[in-house]
Amino acid sequence: MTTRDLVLIALFTAIIVVLGLIPPVTLGFIPVPITAQSMGVMLAGCIIGAKRGALAYVLLVLLVAIGLPVLSGGRGGLAIIQGPTGGFVLGWIVATFVTGLIAERLVKEGQSEVRQFAGFFIASVIGGIGVLYAIGMPWVTAVTGTPLSAVATGSLAFIPGDIVKAVIATLAARAVLAGYPLLHARA
Amino acid sequence: MLNGLNIEGTTPLHRMSVRMKLAILLVCGLALYAMSSFFVLVPAFVIAAIIYFTTGLAFREAVSRLKPILFTILILLIATAYLTSIHAAAESFFRLMAIVLFAGAVTATTATGAFIDEITRLLQPLDKLGLVRAADVGLAFGLVLRFVPDIFNHYQSIREAHRARGLKVRPLTILAPLIILTLKDADTIAMAIDARGFRRPRERRR
Repeated sequence: MTTRDLVLIALFTAIIVVLGLIPPVTLGFIPVPITAQSMGVMLAGCIIGAKRGALAYVLLVLLVAIGLPVLSGGRGGLAIIQGPTGGFVLGWIVATFVTGLIAERLVKEGQSEVRQFAGFFIASVIGGIGVLYAIGMPWVTAVTGTPLSAVATGSLAFIPGDIVKAVIATLAARAVLAGYPLLHARA
Repeated sequence: MLNGLNIEGTTPLHRMSVRMKLAILLVCGLALYAMSSFFVLVPAFVIAAIIYFTTGLAFREAVSRLKPILFTILILLIATAYLTSIHAAAESFFRLMAIVLFAGAVTATTATGAFIDEITRLLQPLDKLGLVRAADVGLAFGLVLRFVPDIFNHYQSIREAHRARGLKVRPLTILAPLIILTLKDADTIAMAIDARGFRRPRERRR
């Protein structure tokens, strides 16, 4: 790993931390306020790619584990990882990797804008929503004993917000690709 | 801006080595999942609560840290009680709270620096195998802590720029400039690190 990759990873982790400091916004038609931090998985995968994105999240999870309040609302500490939603926290790493993997395959520089949008959106939805819930929900069931069907039903409330996040992440990732392409750049 | 969640103190937990604390947390966590008797779970919960509230953490702070996680646990367990049995939900409650309280106690009594040292030490075997550079982890931690305030300043200036132009502050119009502005510095920072020789070059394989 080059020093540049290391710096990109650390800077992206820092960006995710800062996104947690930004006050959440409510969109008119969705009841749950959207925290910018929860878009981090999609952004990291689509912008710095699978390997570096996943490592940025390894770093973030380590920061949480060592007790720094890096998550939105000043949360942090081992209790977050050991608690019922710990699967989502650890799932971020895999979800970012998958998002990045798909984005790297589907999106190429010089493609038409529409194809790039489509590629980032598919990557964000499969990685940032599909994979994340596939890891997070069984974990909740394992830890609390809540039946998986109930956890899945409850999670449905978050899906519209997640789709909106995927759209925002897609637009932002495409803007970054146009302005400062990093997805395919390996130093 | 990013102060650790630990507090100074001299309790036995403060004096214990980081590795020991993490090992106990792991073993207790796994052991509690194997138990389902209230005779074990309730005492474990009480002991964990006593440990957590005697770490020297101010009571109000100690309670406010628990709130978000307690909220999630309660919602899930109300659903569990309704769908399976109250008995199963109560079991999960005591088990989860015991683990969460003990984890909170470890977090409250371990300094950030001590954790980073321990992580670096735990990575040594992987370092010897050439899989990871243990020293890079410390460097990456340092970079994050160093750049969070800078990036927050970027965010504030982008927000001000929006206001000055009468634009609404939206995540979409903030994200792209924030990310480009931040990542653009990567090359300069990397060059500065290399120029100072912070990362020893890996020995060439023969």
